[in-house]
Amino acid sequence: MAFEYLPIMTQNSAPKPPRVLVKPSKFAWCPVTKPLNQSRVALLSSAALRLTDQPPFVPRDDLSYRRVASNPAIGPIVIDHHSGIGTVPKCDPEIVFPRTALANLASRALIGSISPLHFSFMGGLRQHEQVEKELAPALGRELAEAKVDLALLVPY
Amino acid sequence: MSKVASPRAVFVDHPVGRTFGPPDDRERNETILARAIAEIPQFTEPGTIRDLGCEWSSDGSRDWEDELRAEMLRDH
Repeated sequence: MAFEYLPIMTQNSAPKPPRVLVKPSKFAWCPVTKPLNQSRVALLSSAALRLTDQPPFVPRDDLSYRRVASNPAIGPIVIDHHSGIGTVPKCDPEIVFPRTALANLASRALIGSISPLHFSFMGGLRQHEQVEKELAPALGRELAEAKVDLALLVPY
Repeated sequence: MSKVASPRAVFVDHPVGRTFGPPDDRERNETILARAIAEIPQFTEPGTIRDLGCEWSSDGSRDWEDELRAEMLRDH
């Protein structure tokens, strides 16, 4: 049986009301039109992560996002998310944001190419309507501009 | 994961915050990522969750759950 996260999240939410998980008003579904080895792939992360020279996220209601260069050689990653589980991933962000692994998959031709940019934002936001109407469409535009075929969201 | 409506989802039975494995295990990072991406063409309808069959401990131990629970409650 899978680990039950929601009871702990509810306990951690106090004294605020428990988090309410919402479903999007429109179910998202885009058919996959290209083989994987011809597809451009981007990572999305809700870990509020960024490059060290980018402005920090401001917990806990920051609706902004960061464009993160996909080339691991560009520089190290910082995780700003306030979650208590961050001790380990902050030591090695690749375990939640596998830039290097994705680059290796491209070099092995298992995917077609890597988006020049990946994207990150703050997970656990309570402003659901703004996430759906502002943040998500902005990210969608970024992905379209980068001609991304597949976007892989790694939840945090 | 089952409570939200993602178009396509794969389940990795690892502690939250360690989706692609323990720190500094690049081989495991790449294996899990490759398996996740390889699942993408298998989805035929939204809302489906496909289990990658990953286990955190090689012996199948679930001891990590107690450690994670304490970590989440202690540091929040």
